[in-house]
Amino acid sequence: MLFSSIPFLYWFLPLVLIVYFLVPKTGKNAVLLISSLVFYGWGEPKYLFLMLATICLFYLCGLAIGGAKKQPWKKAWLTVSVFISLALLGVFKYADLFVSSFNAVTGLSIPLLRLALPIGISFYTFQCLSYAIDVYRGTVPPQRDPIAFGAYVALFPQLIAGPIVRYADVAKALAHRTHTMEDVALGLRRFIIGLSKKIILADNFALLMKLFRESAEPSVLFYWMYAVAFMLNIYFDFSGYSDMAIGLGRIFGFRFVENFNYPYLSRSITEFWRRWHMSLGSWFRDYVYIPMGGNRVKKARWIFNILTVWMLTGLWHGAAWNFVVWGLMFAVLLLLEKWIPGLKELPGALSHVYVLLMVCISFVLFNAESFTQAGSDLGGMFGLGGIPAVTAETLYYLKSYALLFVFGFLGATPLVRDTANRLAQKPWGTVLEWVAMGALLLICTGYLVDGSFSPFLYFRF
Amino acid sequence: MKTKKIRIIGAACVLALWLALTVLALTAPQKALSEAERRPLAQIPDFGLSELWDGSFMKDFEKGAMDQFPLRDSFRKFKALFHYYGLRQSDNNGVYLAEGHAAKLLYPMDKEAVALAIQRLDKIYEKYLKDTGSNIYAAVIPDKSCWLGDLALDYDAFFSAVEAGMPWAEHISLTDVLTVDDYYKTDIHWRQEALLPAAKKLAQAMGMTLEETFTETVLDRPFYGVYHGQAALPMAAETMVLMESESTKNATVYDHESGKTVSVYDLTKLESKDLYDVFLSGSRSLLTIENAKAKTEKELIVFRDSFASSMIPLLLENYRTVTLVDIRYMSSEVLGNFIDFHGQDVLFLYSTTVLNTKGILK
Repeated sequence: MLFSSIPFLYWFLPLVLIVYFLVPKTGKNAVLLISSLVFYGWGEPKYLFLMLATICLFYLCGLAIGGAKKQPWKKAWLTVSVFISLALLGVFKYADLFVSSFNAVTGLSIPLLRLALPIGISFYTFQCLSYAIDVYRGTVPPQRDPIAFGAYVALFPQLIAGPIVRYADVAKALAHRTHTMEDVALGLRRFIIGLSKKIILADNFALLMKLFRESAEPSVLFYWMYAVAFMLNIYFDFSGYSDMAIGLGRIFGFRFVENFNYPYLSRSITEFWRRWHMSLGSWFRDYVYIPMGGNRVKKARWIFNILTVWMLTGLWHGAAWNFVVWGLMFAVLLLLEKWIPGLKELPGALSHVYVLLMVCISFVLFNAESFTQAGSDLGGMFGLGGIPAVTAETLYYLKSYALLFVFGFLGATPLVRDTANRLAQKPWGTVLEWVAMGALLLICTGYLVDGSFSPFLYFRF
Repeated sequence: MKTKKIRIIGAACVLALWLALTVLALTAPQKALSEAERRPLAQIPDFGLSELWDGSFMKDFEKGAMDQFPLRDSFRKFKALFHYYGLRQSDNNGVYLAEGHAAKLLYPMDKEAVALAIQRLDKIYEKYLKDTGSNIYAAVIPDKSCWLGDLALDYDAFFSAVEAGMPWAEHISLTDVLTVDDYYKTDIHWRQEALLPAAKKLAQAMGMTLEETFTETVLDRPFYGVYHGQAALPMAAETMVLMESESTKNATVYDHESGKTVSVYDLTKLESKDLYDVFLSGSRSLLTIENAKAKTEKELIVFRDSFASSMIPLLLENYRTVTLVDIRYMSSEVLGNFIDFHGQDVLFLYSTTVLNTKGILK
């Protein structure tokens, strides 16, 4: 089920909220677990068993790791947990990539599995893995309550597109959490803002991208409009989903980690990755990069560590080689920034141009169906292939989308948030804020009813 | 403290609005049709275990929940207003507004589609017309976007391509006898009451004159064209006028599909989803009009789309028999089973929209 869908907004969520706030505290985790399973099963009823099996296996592994008296046993159970995680991802997400690549190299024709990708598998597998590692490290005790553990793994607000919530961050809230009207209000506001980012901004940019792909008259300018539209589309899509997840979490009494911090304001790629998909970056840092030795190793090993982490980061985003190249591109840029200090200290606007250009190019690669398409898109952006600089069609869509681009650029800075926060200090400003929330809810509903329906990009991850 | 209270009250109001819409969504009776969109609405499906297991229940539920959402038309209108005026988008669902008209984006010229259409018409010529001695005419009806908007087809190139592809026909240009006001503001079609100059030009090119007197009959029912529903913008209802003459009153129309004989203006279609269906009963594959009071015994075969439904009644006085063929709904391969081609006048009358759509002609 999508957050930005009528069944979720006007059937599922209101009913869950009513039941959740009616049941006593002791039953709230059960309500969350059951509703999360319904939410998950709605899209993939057959994979509900996979989710239940994952919950059971990691619940038992957690108990086994926590209960083992001797280190070798702890390690053995951790190994089992890691194996389960990798097996899940390997079978359901990466098997066909490896088989088709193997076939291509060897000339064999081993049949592909062609399994549908279970929604959110990369997110909940990583959450389970971090839980097992944290229990192994002794950072958190194992969760003995299967309902609470199930609610953590399947928690629908962040189940399918993050942020990647670590067990340590919500362990206390799973056992005991408070609910206040203030939290409900702030959570609701965050949810509506996220919904609006997704439906009004991201989906309309997606429409422009679709029009670009359908165009029979591409131009250099249209290629750039497409590239910038995708930058804004993926940002508002993903950060909008994170906003909705964080908002819903707050309504239910949880505080999820922030996932974005205006990444397009970054002045270096290093800074960009501290602001973009923060929960994934910190996950790889804490569970892959540092255990590999981080930067406290010899130079060659450190380079290997960086390349490995970024290759995995790319692969996490999708089972295709363009994602791997995308990740490695960032690895190279990060290494260059370490080796050439001037790259991280470019003056003023130049630093922003550098980051935005690199990120823009990387996302063109990211969104391409194949390397051929990526090459064609990048070639188009730089005027290769003899296409015109501009066409009547391009100018039409530039005019049509000009204001949306302006809204997108402004929305990617803290300007709107800061202005809203300043206004909200005053009573009339707060009134205005909630009038705006009501209007945004109705506008989003209008878009949904009219069929502006597109799945979240991060579903495939 | 005060702002905190206001925030909570504000949140409560938004939640109340949300809840009210939820209650309406859960309790409102289901509708079968959308008048504005001219289509049946998806229904909330009945629950079934097998449908649940294969996921079809969820898919149908999604569709049903969207289609059956309370105040659907108002929400679509609200969205359209925001889209046009809030985001300053040039079009909504591919429909744009210019000079008071709603029009569909028709851009660019799909060369492959036009070539395919011409190929199809050429096959008809080769198979049925080549050796019959028929006088063959062709006219392409420009879309109203010809006079509107920033992004219009290259009509000169379009007409040239059609003329070059159909060298066996005498081509009649209608662009100089039409203006944007000759089209409905909310619909793709032209207005019959504005077509006399175009009809006269066609008749003249085909060696005829139009002498009949037409009287205008205004239909009671307001007309909302197809773009009205698609654009979802508040646009005023239009009036539909029928041009009646001795010929239109006396002629009979035989519908080969249904086997029924009807009138030129089919008033049983007054309650139809599309009021334009009043003209020659709407989308029909094969019709034969018999006009016993025609000035001549000549016959005419028209290969056509829906635009011809309002044009042909104006040309009736000159033809004893008019056969209308719509090869969007029947294969041109089987025409010989229904029509005896023996030297009748032949008119190919197609709109740019149809010729620019790939594979629509069979």
